[in-house]
Amino acid sequence: MPALAVARFERRLCRRNPVLGGGRKERAVRRATTVGRGAKPPAECDEVPLRGATLRGVVGTLLEVRNLQTHFATRGGVVRAVDGVSWDVREGETVALVGESGCGKSVSALSIMRLVAAPAGRIVGGQILFKGRDLLRLGEEEMRRVRGREIGMVFQEPMTSLNPVLNIGRQLTEGLEIHLKLSPADARRRAEELLAMVGISDPGRRLRQYPHQFSGGMRQRMMIAMALACNPSLVLADEPTTALDVTIQAQILELMKDLSRRLGVAMLIITHNLGVVARYADRVNVMYAGRIVERATAREVYGRPRHPYTLGLLRSVPRLDEPRRARLTPIEGQPPDLTRLPPGCAFAPRCAFCVERCTREAPPLAEVDAGGHVSACWEAARLERVGEPVR
Amino acid sequence: MAKYLLKRFFLMLPTLFGVALVTFVLIRVIPGDVVELRYSGDRGAVSQEVIDQERHRIGLDQPVWRQFFTWLAGIVRLDFGTSMWTGAPILQEIKLRFALSLQVAIMATIVAVVLAIPLGVLAALKHLFLLIVFKWLPPMVYTPFWVSPRQNLAQLIWPALAVGYRYSAVATRMTRSAMLEVLREDYIRTARAKGLVQNLILSRHALKNAMLPVLTVVAIEFAFLIGGLVVTEQVFNLNGIGLLFVQAVAHRDYTLLQALVMLVAGMFILVNFLMDAAYAWLDPRIRYR
Ligand SMILES: Nc1ncnc2c1ncn2[C@@H]1O[C@H](COP(=O)(O)OP(=O)(O)OP(=O)(O)O)[C@@H](O)[C@H]1O
Ligand code: SF4
Ligand SMILES: [Mg+2]
Repeated sequence: MPALAVARFERRLCRRNPVLGGGRKERAVRRATTVGRGAKPPAECDEVPLRGATLRGVVGTLLEVRNLQTHFATRGGVVRAVDGVSWDVREGETVALVGESGCGKSVSALSIMRLVAAPAGRIVGGQILFKGRDLLRLGEEEMRRVRGREIGMVFQEPMTSLNPVLNIGRQLTEGLEIHLKLSPADARRRAEELLAMVGISDPGRRLRQYPHQFSGGMRQRMMIAMALACNPSLVLADEPTTALDVTIQAQILELMKDLSRRLGVAMLIITHNLGVVARYADRVNVMYAGRIVERATAREVYGRPRHPYTLGLLRSVPRLDEPRRARLTPIEGQPPDLTRLPPGCAFAPRCAFCVERCTREAPPLAEVDAGGHVSACWEAARLERVGEPVR
Repeated sequence: MAKYLLKRFFLMLPTLFGVALVTFVLIRVIPGDVVELRYSGDRGAVSQEVIDQERHRIGLDQPVWRQFFTWLAGIVRLDFGTSMWTGAPILQEIKLRFALSLQVAIMATIVAVVLAIPLGVLAALKHLFLLIVFKWLPPMVYTPFWVSPRQNLAQLIWPALAVGYRYSAVATRMTRSAMLEVLREDYIRTARAKGLVQNLILSRHALKNAMLPVLTVVAIEFAFLIGGLVVTEQVFNLNGIGLLFVQAVAHRDYTLLQALVMLVAGMFILVNFLMDAAYAWLDPRIRYR
């Protein structure tokens, strides 16, 4: 039955989008080239944003976050970790949430799962519409049935996110037993399939092992298997590769991309690396100090950023399409204190484009280009003239 | 796992030897010996000759190293000799009292654990502090469990409750803080993100991890209890190891005292070993080292 469920997903996907679902051969090829893709030429990147564009007209919205506000009450004051943020994820799509450390990415994801650390952290406003239902209005028990069943989550720290005293099998099967009501034997079989699916060999033996017997990359594969166990329609991946070394990072990201396509799962990838975004996401939300400052397709963000912060992020990561570029410039200065946000643009103290108005008035998120490219910057028009982001 | 435990087991032997040596020497540092104490009542009435004779009879006139090895040779054959004061075989002196102390220790531990773990978990979840008052009745004379379980329990339940209550306070605090710590761990968040029900998260994911430090506290307290509870035994009029200890020291009954110290040390070491085994059982990181 579990295999059937996977097949069902694939079929659903085929029906929805023949381009994607079809071509078993094509998928096999894609998988076979998985490992070597770390150094692939940029031309191939194009297929990713294109897919988003193809899907746009066809599929509906899966998750819509509206004006979400999550605050923490601390001794130093109220930390506005997420401060009125709106974004959405369409069915089967991969959306990225990008930003520096501490800008509220994890808190955003945890808010969707309603797992923000109480009692300090509280969602104080907004809506989280998932398949049309507002998750913030669900009872605790209803919410529990969404977690793991309809929305899976992959955490940043594979070392500490698995329970050290329970074996892999136990941790993988418990969700299946609870949500899908599988018998222990069926859950076991499905768990073996899942491990095989995420590329762990000898799954029968691996299920009896404990997390400390797994390498970091394998643990993260296991986390992915766990998140996908009950065929969720959305997976939130909070910096799934930050703790891993570079070669493993590429493998894990490829695996996630491949699985999300095969199973038709939508993904929210949280990262602070715009390089990751370009290759794996359809659309990108750039977050700064608890707000979204820019949103566009990955291609747009990468090629024609319309916010100085995004521009700064791009200049601080190595670009695969410009191997000769030697100098990387990190964004100068520190992100603002989230308890005392300035009245105007939060990025103003660090912004090279800053004008007088910026320190007075906070710029709204406004459309800067057709096709849903939005930016919260008074000087967005000037940025267009900057054109090529890398000077 | 087996290899780990075997290694631990054999590590017990040098520890025991060390304890034997230190005990033997330290006891002899206390001024006065058993012969002196016995005849000090009738001061002057007993000639030095008699005292020397008595010392010779129980071997106190031999060089200390020789006494030590004679004693050690006995221990190896589980022969602890006779009491220097009463002349009775030491094993016999200790046997019943040990049964009593062990039983109180076990019962107190059960009381403590049964109280502490649920209370500790509750306190962690609700951020509570708890206060419970116990009342007890004084017991009658000790009846071994196998003679009359009912009567035996009727007596020992009170000291066990009294001791177990105090003991449970320590264990409750430990459970509470361990639980609070574990509940902050990333893997608990993972478990919640999987949509598990709260009870399962607590019993399967949190408790097993939180038990590790609690186990240490419980085990060490248990070993302390076996060593005898001098005051509790007085209060409840029990003839346990604690009382025997006091007597042995008072009489400078070297052989009895040595045997008692060895017993208590042995129990500590054994409890430690069992604790290691339990740790290995609870924590796969130790098991598969
Ligand atoms: N439990 C908490 N108590 C108080 N403040 C918190 C808590 N959790 C998060 N915050 C605050 O919320 C802000 C956003 O944190 P968040 O973890 O979402 O950052 P992030 O974007 O995920 O960063 P990183 O890249 O480091 O993971 C931070 O400034 C942090 O100080
Ligand atoms: S609004 Fe002003 S300060 Fe803010 S990013 Fe734009 S130019 Fe910079
Ligand atoms: Mg984070």
